[in-house]
Amino acid sequence: MQCDRVQELLGAYGDGELSGDERRSMSTHLESCKACGDILADYGRIGRALKRHGRVCAPPVLAARIGAALDQIESELPSAVLQPARRFALAGRVFDMRGFARRAASLAAACFIGALAAWNFVDAAGQSDRMERDVLNAHMRSLLQESPVQVASNDKHNVQPWFAGRTDFAPAVKDLAEDGFPLVGGRLDYVADRRVGVVVYKRGLHMINVFMWPSPSSADSAPRIVTRKGYNLLSWSRSGVSYWAASDLNSEEMRTLSRLL
Amino acid sequence: MAHLDAAHNLAFHLLRERADAQDAVQDAYVRAYRAFAQLQGEDIKPWLLTIVRNVCYRRLQERRRMSNVISLDETLSTRAGAASIEAECTANTPSPEQNAIRASDATVLTQALAALPPAFREVIVLRELEELSYREVADIVGAPIGTVMSRLSRARAELRALMMKLLAQDNNNAM
Repeated sequence: MQCDRVQELLGAYGDGELSGDERRSMSTHLESCKACGDILADYGRIGRALKRHGRVCAPPVLAARIGAALDQIESELPSAVLQPARRFALAGRVFDMRGFARRAASLAAACFIGALAAWNFVDAAGQSDRMERDVLNAHMRSLLQESPVQVASNDKHNVQPWFAGRTDFAPAVKDLAEDGFPLVGGRLDYVADRRVGVVVYKRGLHMINVFMWPSPSSADSAPRIVTRKGYNLLSWSRSGVSYWAASDLNSEEMRTLSRLL
Repeated sequence: MAHLDAAHNLAFHLLRERADAQDAVQDAYVRAYRAFAQLQGEDIKPWLLTIVRNVCYRRLQERRRMSNVISLDETLSTRAGAASIEAECTANTPSPEQNAIRASDATVLTQALAALPPAFREVIVLRELEELSYREVADIVGAPIGTVMSRLSRARAELRALMMKLLAQDNNNAM
């Protein structure tokens, strides 16, 4: 491979988006070419600096402004025109959107009630079963809080002992940073009429909530994925433990995580 | 969560103007809200960012229609934006020494990024800041993956070249 071609592909190489053949030719070239290696290192540095300094977050006032604008159009929605069924579906979704928009306005409590109301609609329409709803609710709720965890640490030796005495079952906590799923921490939640331990991992900017509880009577089952409201829910059982993972991460990477847990 | 930060981040980098970016995000959320019923099992984030991007491009087009020359206002607000981002970034850094180094790097970086054409800026923002996959970026900008890959490659090369130029200028000024 010539330097010109290598330099065209350096970014994609760093992003892990090249095919096996291309990746191998790139590695071979980079072993011997300092000029291309230097550029790759620069790209890495620039990428890290961008992540540190480049993100311009929304000012808190914007969430409040958008919330008000959405309230305004809600009152203008031509409800008579809409089919009752569509109106129903829309109502559920509307609450979600408002939940999103208002989070930064510290109206977490209001959002929580809104989300619950929305989910009650959905339930009445028989759109999702109870467990999926509970897990997704818990996931959404965790994202509405200041922090999705009560114990924040990327060290499993801090997180695992925290569960002792707080739940009747200590969830397994794993160190998967090398596999690209760094640990965020743990918290308690309430799912399917029981108190459960939740371990939170991260993939890029995606949060993944992993719920687990003992279910001695259930047989081992392969991971099953469902998509609800743009979120992926993956559930499986292994060695008498039921697992549920919830995230907006894509289903392929969700499955990768389930294999690692 | 909320993707509000992601939406604002994209809008800000495309429009380079705080008030305009906020208006665009609000506009996009209102459109998303009206269109929410059409969303079927897709990821919300790429869907929402597609709407934000479209709104921003319409605004950029309007600006271009209003004037064919680069306005002084835009240059000024870009500078002001860079300075306040710097202030936000340095707010929680640990030591004064590190502050100085990081602040100067951040300024150069922000200036260089702002100098890229919007088509380059958006792929950098979506990939490096929002950490989306090439597939997701391709869906949002409405181009094939191969195009995203080459655009990102040229954007990175240009960003690096601009940063080196700006850093060289800084050094000359210091001497």
